[in-house]
Amino acid sequence: MTSQRPEPPAASRPPLRRGGEGSLLAGVSQGLGDHLGLHPFAIRALFVAMTAIGGAGALIYAFLWATIEPVDEQDAVPLERRTSPGALLVAGGAVVVMIGVLGFLQSQGLNLRLDITIPVLVLTVGAVFIWAQLDTSGRQRLLADQGGSPQKALGRLVIGAGLAVVGLVALTTQNADLGQLRSVAAAVVVALIGVGLLAAPYLTRLWRNLREEQAATARATERADIAAHLHDSVLQTLALIQRRADDPTQVARLARAQERELRSWLYAGPVGPAATLAGAVAAAGHDVEDLHGVPIEVIITGDRPLDADGQALVNALREAMLNAVRHGEPPVSAYVEVGGRSVEAFVRDHGEGFDLDAVPSDRLGVRESILGRMDRHGGTARLRRLEHGTEVSLELPLSHEPQGADS
Amino acid sequence: MTDSTSGPSAEPRRSAGPAGGAGSRGPIRLVLVDDHRMFRSGVRTELDEVSGNRLDIVGEAGTVDQAVAVIREQRPDVVLLDVHLPGGNGRGGSDVIAGCAGVNTEAGGPVRFLALSVSDAAEDVIAVIRAGARGYVTKTISGPELGGAIVRVADGDAVFSPRLAGFVLDAFGAAAGEIAEVDEELDRLSAREREVMRLIARGYQYKEVAKELFISVKTVETHVSSVLRKLQLSSRHELTAWAMGRRLL
Repeated sequence: MTSQRPEPPAASRPPLRRGGEGSLLAGVSQGLGDHLGLHPFAIRALFVAMTAIGGAGALIYAFLWATIEPVDEQDAVPLERRTSPGALLVAGGAVVVMIGVLGFLQSQGLNLRLDITIPVLVLTVGAVFIWAQLDTSGRQRLLADQGGSPQKALGRLVIGAGLAVVGLVALTTQNADLGQLRSVAAAVVVALIGVGLLAAPYLTRLWRNLREEQAATARATERADIAAHLHDSVLQTLALIQRRADDPTQVARLARAQERELRSWLYAGPVGPAATLAGAVAAAGHDVEDLHGVPIEVIITGDRPLDADGQALVNALREAMLNAVRHGEPPVSAYVEVGGRSVEAFVRDHGEGFDLDAVPSDRLGVRESILGRMDRHGGTARLRRLEHGTEVSLELPLSHEPQGADS
Repeated sequence: MTDSTSGPSAEPRRSAGPAGGAGSRGPIRLVLVDDHRMFRSGVRTELDEVSGNRLDIVGEAGTVDQAVAVIREQRPDVVLLDVHLPGGNGRGGSDVIAGCAGVNTEAGGPVRFLALSVSDAAEDVIAVIRAGARGYVTKTISGPELGGAIVRVADGDAVFSPRLAGFVLDAFGAAAGEIAEVDEELDRLSAREREVMRLIARGYQYKEVAKELFISVKTVETHVSSVLRKLQLSSRHELTAWAMGRRLL
């Protein structure tokens, strides 16, 4: 499933949420305290103390308020948290922009003690980043919950990174003349490398998520296809069989037809009506089976495109199979061999057998449909009476085979 | 994972006395291997009906691991082996045959395997035959025919269903007219073997094949066994390519 990742921190740590029970303001302190196992009062004190130093505490509070998901009453499941690295970066970028604005304000004469505020802010943002990366619930959320929209998360990531760059440039160029741009550029590059390093695990993870998601979708689609197919075919047939349980012939016919259908679906894949001799023979066999509910074992070796003569052979074969199931005894088998010079076909049953001469001449079945038809197409048909049953053998020479055309 | 501990249903339910043996030797000791319990009990009932006491079902198994355990313990004459089984290395019946290599029957002969499958897929058939099964029949076979096939396999002969015969003809190129010049050639069928295979594919019993070709049933059996050997040993590349690229139905 999920590939290996850094050692999981204490599994029982509650997810980082704000606004739990006992919140005073936005619940950031309460949530942090719950998450870190500290008393929320200590955290509040820290915020207040940091706010005293140039307002950094308030900024951090605002930042955390924006990024930490509020507690949802219904679900205590950590998977439901919705923040993403993208969102974190957007927020981080926003903070950096904010700092730029602050710096601008200070340059206009306001003393905000930026020398302290900025390092503290950067440290906090960095800490949040790293913490989120090590956070189990965060990882789970990434893998499970984010599954829906990795592309969106990726987009947020890019936007966030861009925002951060813009902010950094704004920050560092506010008072600078062009001569300082070189060092600014260097700072931006360093910052970008830093951001890249921080984001690299996210990016790889997102990529992996994307791949996993695609595979899962493919699997789900396949499963749905199979379920749909089984429902349309097998379950329907089983229901029919249960309703017809008192009619063995019908049950056997249904079961056989279903078996054949399922078999061709499983082993042959979705194929349309085949335009080959083998396909036509198989289809004819299935037809006869369906008509009479008698199984016919159809065995075919070799194959060739279906032409008019081939179709005639198939028709004659079909007639022979019909005769076999009507007048003979099962098992009925048909064997068709497509050779280089001729096609040979045999249909055999295990009945009493019959004499062609004894068949009334007005019965066209054998005479016309089998013997006559083969004759007209340059083939031969023979009827043999075996000890058990009858065998019809058909032979169709393949004279106009393109054998001489291209050696 | 299937737990092989949950009872390989070895059911040492031998027939009450040794007096059951009809004919010159005792009943054929049989193990049924199939992962469908319903199918196993169906086969058991059917064989009990048709065979009288010539067959003695001494064990059943539903997975590869159970099957190997039961066969090693019971040392049956014949194993009726499903091609698709859970467990083992995932190769089903072939794994069972491999796992039972070297196991001999009580009489000292090798344990014979008869593949019995609902699958017509060529790769399944070829895999289990090449693993060493003595024959292959489909699950739609009638009870008496199955009984006959078991007896034949117990005697060391090969059992070819019409479908397997058709497969052989196709895979060895015999349908297209390729014929071995010498009988020993592994990659092609001899003219006689081709004739025998064609008749089997046409639905002829061994007896009928013999009559048709004016040879003895024993000779037919020899030809079939020889084809089986070629099927198992041939390195003919079309054989595997055929099995992979084409399905039997």
